[in-house]
Amino acid sequence: MFKDYNLENVKAKVSEALVKAKKSNELYNDVVTFVDPSEQLATMPKSGKMLGIPIALKDNVCTKGIKTTACSNILNDYVPIYDATIVKKLKDAGAITICKTNMDELAMGGTNLTSNIGACLNPWDTSRMSGGSSGGSAAIVASGAVDFAIGSDTGDSVRKPASYCGVVGVKPTYGRISRYGIIPYSSSLDHVGYFTRSIYDASVALEVLAGRDDLDMTSSNREVEAYSDNLNSDIRGKKIAIFKNVYDGLTNEQTKEIFGKLLANLKAKGAIVEEVSFDEQLLKAILPTYYLIANCEATANHSNLDGIRFGVRKDGKDVEEIMINSRTAGFGSLIRKRFVIGSYGLFVENQEKLFRQAQRVRRLIVEEVKRCLDNYDCLIAPASNDIAPKLDDHGRDELSNEYLIVENHMIIGNFTGYPSMTLPMGLIDGCPIGVNITCRAFDEQTMFNIGASIEEITGLKDLKKEVA
Amino acid sequence: MKDIAYFKKLAHQLMFDLSDDEAKDIALEFETLQKQLSILEAIDTTNVEEMIYPFEMPTTFLREDVVENVCSQEDALKNAKAQKEGHFVVPKVVK
Amino acid sequence: MEYDVVIGIEIHCELKTATKMFSSAPCIFGAKANTCVNEVDLGHPGTMPCVNKEAVKKAIQICTALHLEIDSLVKFDRKNYYYSDLPKGFQITQQFHPIGKNGYIKINVDKEEKKIRINRIHMEEDTAKQFHLNDITLIDYNRAGTPLVEIVSEPDMQNGKEAAAYVEALRQTLYYLGVSDVKMEEGSMRCDVNVSLKPKGSNVFGTKNEIKNLNSIANVQKAIDYEVARQKALLDAGKNVEQATRRYDEALKETVLMRKKEGTVDYKFFPEPNIFPILLDDAWIKAIQADLPELPDVRKARYAKDYGLNDYDISVLIANKELADTYEKVMKTANNAKMACNWMLGEVSAWLNKNGGNLANINCEYLGQLINMVDAKELSNSQAKDVVLPEVMKNNDPKVVVEAKGLKQVSDTSAILSIVLEVLNEQAQSVEDYKNGKDRALKFMVGQVMKKSKGQANPQIVNKLLLEELAKIINN
Repeated sequence: MFKDYNLENVKAKVSEALVKAKKSNELYNDVVTFVDPSEQLATMPKSGKMLGIPIALKDNVCTKGIKTTACSNILNDYVPIYDATIVKKLKDAGAITICKTNMDELAMGGTNLTSNIGACLNPWDTSRMSGGSSGGSAAIVASGAVDFAIGSDTGDSVRKPASYCGVVGVKPTYGRISRYGIIPYSSSLDHVGYFTRSIYDASVALEVLAGRDDLDMTSSNREVEAYSDNLNSDIRGKKIAIFKNVYDGLTNEQTKEIFGKLLANLKAKGAIVEEVSFDEQLLKAILPTYYLIANCEATANHSNLDGIRFGVRKDGKDVEEIMINSRTAGFGSLIRKRFVIGSYGLFVENQEKLFRQAQRVRRLIVEEVKRCLDNYDCLIAPASNDIAPKLDDHGRDELSNEYLIVENHMIIGNFTGYPSMTLPMGLIDGCPIGVNITCRAFDEQTMFNIGASIEEITGLKDLKKEVA
Repeated sequence: MKDIAYFKKLAHQLMFDLSDDEAKDIALEFETLQKQLSILEAIDTTNVEEMIYPFEMPTTFLREDVVENVCSQEDALKNAKAQKEGHFVVPKVVK
Repeated sequence: MEYDVVIGIEIHCELKTATKMFSSAPCIFGAKANTCVNEVDLGHPGTMPCVNKEAVKKAIQICTALHLEIDSLVKFDRKNYYYSDLPKGFQITQQFHPIGKNGYIKINVDKEEKKIRINRIHMEEDTAKQFHLNDITLIDYNRAGTPLVEIVSEPDMQNGKEAAAYVEALRQTLYYLGVSDVKMEEGSMRCDVNVSLKPKGSNVFGTKNEIKNLNSIANVQKAIDYEVARQKALLDAGKNVEQATRRYDEALKETVLMRKKEGTVDYKFFPEPNIFPILLDDAWIKAIQADLPELPDVRKARYAKDYGLNDYDISVLIANKELADTYEKVMKTANNAKMACNWMLGEVSAWLNKNGGNLANINCEYLGQLINMVDAKELSNSQAKDVVLPEVMKNNDPKVVVEAKGLKQVSDTSAILSIVLEVLNEQAQSVEDYKNGKDRALKFMVGQVMKKSKGQANPQIVNKLLLEELAKIINN
């Protein structure tokens, strides 16, 4: 954890981290590119909140001079000419980037199976998936190689893999962290998020990452709070809403039991814990709503990947042919299918009943959640019905309640932009499963405080499957 | 039902191709999607405004007109696959 | 058959800002290729737009000058299409909420004033510039992201002359606002014209053709005149006009087909998610509007009132803002407004055309003094033009020049009279010739007087005195 690092042990700790990361990569395929830390070590500031801490960045974070592929063939040789704003902030805080991590291609997936370098495996059970899209970052933090990794979360892409890998996965409020320099998926849903193994570290990290960035017009002017100084696990009188629809959809008895025990303990600590139900019809619409908004925005966001100025260029007799050949070879099947759907939803004749309808339903869902959080400090639910699925698990019924609601409820955090976080709540068959909490906009402090309390209850602080 | 040719044409407008299998897959998945979309369509959104941004308080910031970030020609062309005299090169574009 | 001609014009105008519409890279015309760009202009992954305040200010100025209602909630949208000059694969524009709606501009054609309505003005970004060589195309992204406004007229024009007057009126207005270079030949102002014909009095619009990228106002008129005739011939022959995009070929003096329009392109417009709506401060808008630079119409009225110039002189002066600005500075010294105007439009313009040079470098006080000397008949027109003006243009004081070259015109009647009498005395034969009706003799004697005065005698006075003295001789 962050407290283990200081100016004296930087070099040793960074080398140690690199050794572990290489080992982790051999075992789990969680790294795309290793970064030589020598220049960063040489130019490291004298002080900072993350001084000398080795970290990992998801491979959709633009790093000047360091290959950034977003695990898509079309960006296989792309070397950014600029640093993402968070890269600058992390450098200023003294953090040392040692690698870029595996992810679903262009962050469009929840399994990390769609990466162009292959699946990222779950450190707890390599026959299982890490989850995605930020699978590599979740796995490398779980492996203990680094204590912090950047991810991005468009529809639970930090919080789901955090659950599967047993680490803390934070998605702060939309606009809290600048998105400038993060290869996008869907601009109105994308959030920068990150992984740690403790709530305290998570609270420090947000102090480093958060803040207004004029390069991202959607970033917030709100002052960054002293989250770590104000961290307080006393939750007496805090009102916690149990997401009843999710609870009712759970089919895994062990998950129910672990979650139930956690709720009882929260009550015992003085929290007011009550069930809250949402309109079931709206909840079932989360996935199609998400699917449309995300893919409609994504198809436009990735129109710049055309082989003309950067990225892979395939030959062609004219510009159109170059674009077509480059994009056909450059994008995986799934990506191209999603672009087709997205484009379909944007057509003039479809936009009203698809894209715009999705945007209207998004509002209805957000209003429903807002009403709940007007009365409660936090909404709580298991992050998933079960531990990480097997790599070859294709057996889910995509129209079932279990799937539509239980496996997709965390997308609410992206619709609302509210802060949302997953942390481990227990282990089933030796594999972790997480609990998700969502709070009011910009109330990360309450989220961390409740998280700290959960961490005390579960005793799963610094949970890891350490690589030898 | 939308056929393979339809999706191939659509893909072409997006500047990529779909193989027969991929187009077939989409056509199949489209069925599931249509069912999911019917859930969406069934929701009454009369008088509901589209939610385009997570937060809807208008902002006021505008950037001052001052040059702050310009990259070198070398950097601009760094990722280019073909260049000539400081330009990006493509096969002749016929207007 | 008789037809009504319906013409609408879309004008793209580059705004004169230091930086791009959505990035802080510089806007410099003619810079080395790909040196005025950053990652945003190149459409690199992860980049985001950031709206330029000055561009918004200039758009507000334009909307105000053209009487549009301003939407103080600024929103942007994406227009999606793939093209080699479009780095992001979409252009950020204002499809759904243009910054300005419903305005107009007045034009004058054949002494008739007409209002041309403007439907909308929106802000957007320019594309990259392409250079087509034999087998390759070179792309320079310096222009990519340059702020543009698009000004869309209502179809209120009926012939090429009106269209040209509209474009010229807009060009002048934008130029006087200082918001753009409005150089059609350099592409900082680009003009697309829609032309259609319908049977006279009909309510149903005909099929329109769009003529793209007209590069001069003269060509706007020529292209429209040609296109109207072409469509009329088709319709008269019972044929259909096909909807198409055309361009004007200067060599052929014809509009030629670029591409037929088969249905409309679906640009899949949707709101730009990376730019939250921006609420403009009302006080800021009001301050911009209160501080608007003087517009051509206002200046015209002022010239009529302050200088008493006629409409023609005013319109010629106004058409060249730098010339008009210089004229105003000259008028701080010059006494005769009409004479000063003639000098600006005549001698000064001619000198600059011939010798080059910049109006801004002229010492307007000296020029005013020179004009005053001519006005006071202290200097002959020809001496002023041929000898003194070139010196004034070199920033030399006209008084010193006149002194040094001994050019001061003598208007003292007694001094001239003594020379006249001297000449009459010496040139008896000429006096005799004059008596016999030979007019040439008079000219000769004038020349002799001028010669004796070393060219300094006021020729009109010489003429007058000679005639008077000759009359005396004849009457005796």
